[in-house]
Amino acid sequence: MTNFAQLFFDATSLGGLYAMAALGIALIFGVMNLVNFAHGEYIAFCVFALIVPSTDAVAVMFLGHAPALILIPVILALGGLVAVASEYAVFRHLRRADPVAMMIASFALGFVIRNALLAAYGGRPKAISLWPGLNMPVNIAGASVPLLQLIVIVTTLLVVTGLALLLKRTRIGLEMRAAAENFTMARLLGVRANRVITGAFALSGALAAAVALIMVTQTGVADVKMGGQIMLVAFIATVLGGLGSLPGAVAAGFLVGIVSVVLQAWLPLEARPFRDAFLYTLVIVCLLLRPQGLFVPASAKPRV
Amino acid sequence: MSKLGVFDISVRYGKVPAVNDLTLHVEEGERVFVSGPNGAGKSSLLKAISGAVATSHGRIEMDGDLLTGRAPEAIARLGLSMVPEGREIFCSLTVEENLRVGTGLRRDADAVDVDIAEIYASFPILGERRSAAAGALSGGQQQMLAIGRALMTNPKLIMVDEPSLGLAPKIVDQVYDTLCALQEERGLTLLIVEQSSLRAARVGGRMVLMRGGRIVSEGNAADMADRDALAAAYFGQSGKQTETAT
Amino acid sequence: MQSQHASNRIAAYSTPVILSGLLLGLVVLVALFGDKALARTAAETLVRVVLVVSLWIFVGNSGVISFGHAGYMAIGAYCSAWLTLKPQSKALFLPDLPDWLMQAQWPVFPAAIAGGVLAAFIALVSGAAILRLSGIAASIATFAFLAIVNTVYSNWEGVTGATSSVVGLPRYVDQWVALGWAVAAILAANLYANSASGLALRATREDEVAARASGIDMYRHRLLSLVISGFFTGVSGALLGHSIGVLNPDSFYLGITFISLAMLVVGGIGSLSGAVMGVLLLSLLIELLVRAEQGVAIGATHFAIPSGSQEILIGIAMILVLIVRPNGLTAGKEFKLKPQWLRQSRMYGAKSTN
Repeated sequence: MTNFAQLFFDATSLGGLYAMAALGIALIFGVMNLVNFAHGEYIAFCVFALIVPSTDAVAVMFLGHAPALILIPVILALGGLVAVASEYAVFRHLRRADPVAMMIASFALGFVIRNALLAAYGGRPKAISLWPGLNMPVNIAGASVPLLQLIVIVTTLLVVTGLALLLKRTRIGLEMRAAAENFTMARLLGVRANRVITGAFALSGALAAAVALIMVTQTGVADVKMGGQIMLVAFIATVLGGLGSLPGAVAAGFLVGIVSVVLQAWLPLEARPFRDAFLYTLVIVCLLLRPQGLFVPASAKPRV
Repeated sequence: MSKLGVFDISVRYGKVPAVNDLTLHVEEGERVFVSGPNGAGKSSLLKAISGAVATSHGRIEMDGDLLTGRAPEAIARLGLSMVPEGREIFCSLTVEENLRVGTGLRRDADAVDVDIAEIYASFPILGERRSAAAGALSGGQQQMLAIGRALMTNPKLIMVDEPSLGLAPKIVDQVYDTLCALQEERGLTLLIVEQSSLRAARVGGRMVLMRGGRIVSEGNAADMADRDALAAAYFGQSGKQTETAT
Repeated sequence: MQSQHASNRIAAYSTPVILSGLLLGLVVLVALFGDKALARTAAETLVRVVLVVSLWIFVGNSGVISFGHAGYMAIGAYCSAWLTLKPQSKALFLPDLPDWLMQAQWPVFPAAIAGGVLAAFIALVSGAAILRLSGIAASIATFAFLAIVNTVYSNWEGVTGATSSVVGLPRYVDQWVALGWAVAAILAANLYANSASGLALRATREDEVAARASGIDMYRHRLLSLVISGFFTGVSGALLGHSIGVLNPDSFYLGITFISLAMLVVGGIGSLSGAVMGVLLLSLLIELLVRAEQGVAIGATHFAIPSGSQEILIGIAMILVLIVRPNGLTAGKEFKLKPQWLRQSRMYGAKSTN
């Protein structure tokens, strides 16, 4: 039973992290059909904003010094800011371009951000200890669970409900959902394209920042590569959830997290390094069975 | 000054021309039908007026304001609303949410709820299903919703693209009855794309006939339903075939 | 009298001749006037030509962006390494290879072919799954494929050496070998693009729905182009390995994916000439930037741009091209003889290119 509880907490916290990353991708895709390959680099950017730029192996806290009550909003705002700035600098000029061109541009933008980080901070992963107290274990249902895992699960729930409320109950949320389904029609009804797109990028960037904070606390490492890995999982979750579907992205994010923890637990020892390969193969098989995604509601119009 | 003035506009998709040097005036409170065969450029004309596609030439004015070059949302804010071809309602939103999408441009927030209640009074079925996903509505109900949604922006001019598309004749009657009643009530100006000239004649109003991206003739809809004029438009001057109205 | 149709066809087939001639000219210039370093740069550039032309065979014809080609490259590179390395060093570094592979010591040319064939086979298997998805979803799946290959090759200790590099590959690839393969890839790309399958596939790129309605089996043509593309991509991987002599899974990951896509986009995805020109232009830019990073001495002062600027500037160049010239510098046009010139040349015996 203990084992099961442990597995449960591992799976839900990882799934929560993936769900948040996937939401960030799905929001942008929904509103402007952009597969944003720079999203992982937003995450990495927020991680490195915590420390002083230097190529030394030891990380010196910069923003990371601030107390949590200030740090969290500042990092979230920073994430939003970098995302909005990238929309301003790049994607705004590609509104009329086809999705493929936008996708390649985002890939190039991600590459630029990543190399800027590499130039400023060097390529070696750095040890960084943000809120080390949160990794202390707590006993729940006979399982010893790091406090952080609980916080991640609660945070995910809060973020997902918060976002759901925002989308359901506010004016900008309504406009975003309408724009996600049919952008031109929304504009014909007076919905301001720039406002909606900027809003979506700000939210997406803030989600990336939340993911960054959680990952840093969990792993204790700042690495330029960490954004790319989670972004790939997030992409997969958005495709699996049905491109553009927000509830689908959340559900698929959780699913991928759960499957990945289960694989880690059940695969024989010598096969564990290949876990991600198994995971991605499973995903491709899933997509073959349901190319439109696992969680597409019947009432939704089929999207391309 | 006319309500809507279209001066010498052209629309092209890449190298393919859709509208050629077209000029059209619509007066305040008027009802104008745009008719003509497939590919005549009717929908492109409406899209150009609404700002959904760019014009390559010419200018469009409403109440003396220049529309050309403005974004669709800016044009909507000037009091122009559109019921597009195929209705294009937001399937994943509820009926009521569909109605509310277009209210963001209004300053009279209090009046929005009153207007929604009014729309439910005109279309009781929408009121009954206000919390249902709009995608679950029937074709006729979706058409009503699209009209209601267009009204919610509080427009002065509404453009309707092929309201009868894919609907049973009885439902089409209903749609036109509603449109005419609304026009009466609110003093709206209507610009309607309608392929069937017989239908236009029955509803009444002015009709312009398009072909190859130009207006080839115009006049009272009832007179225009005259067979020879139509045959000429559809099949060229030599046309002797009988026209079948859809 | 020559029919217009025939001269159009000849004009279409003149593209690879012009492109190959251009590459040959460059190599001859380098051989005559260049030093060793320049010769190495030329070889590297030509290997990139093989890679980007292979990428174009799939991406240019189908319109589906692939992030997975670096994976096919890795497969070809390691396959050629397994076949050509000395048995003693394989026993030392790659102890888990099956016996027949352990003993194999193939000549380099068939090893490169074998690398291409293995990559083509993997392209067939992976493509059979991935290409059932629609455009954007398929692109993301190719990205997942790349991650799968990278995970496997970075962890399969006894077979790929995992993250420690495989060393000691025979370095036989000079600019002439690379030129040979580049010309072969260009010819194959042109032949495929002008074949029935290539033409059908490009029709689907313009309008998926209409092409499907006219009875084009998009899936089969996409798969065929991916297999051909996979073969040459595998070969380009083998060539890369045998030009630098060292293999590491991370040399076949995001860096090369980015640079090859950048070359394709800058040159213009729509045409084979665009693919080749993209490689040449960006390779020149990279070379200049690398030198600038090393620094130039002007008088007594030493100027250098900070390291890492190279990647950043190339990324920015790519974004600018996408914004200003979305169809790339060639805008989808091919270098070819004009059909009317061909008809005239029959009369006057004159010849020229555009």
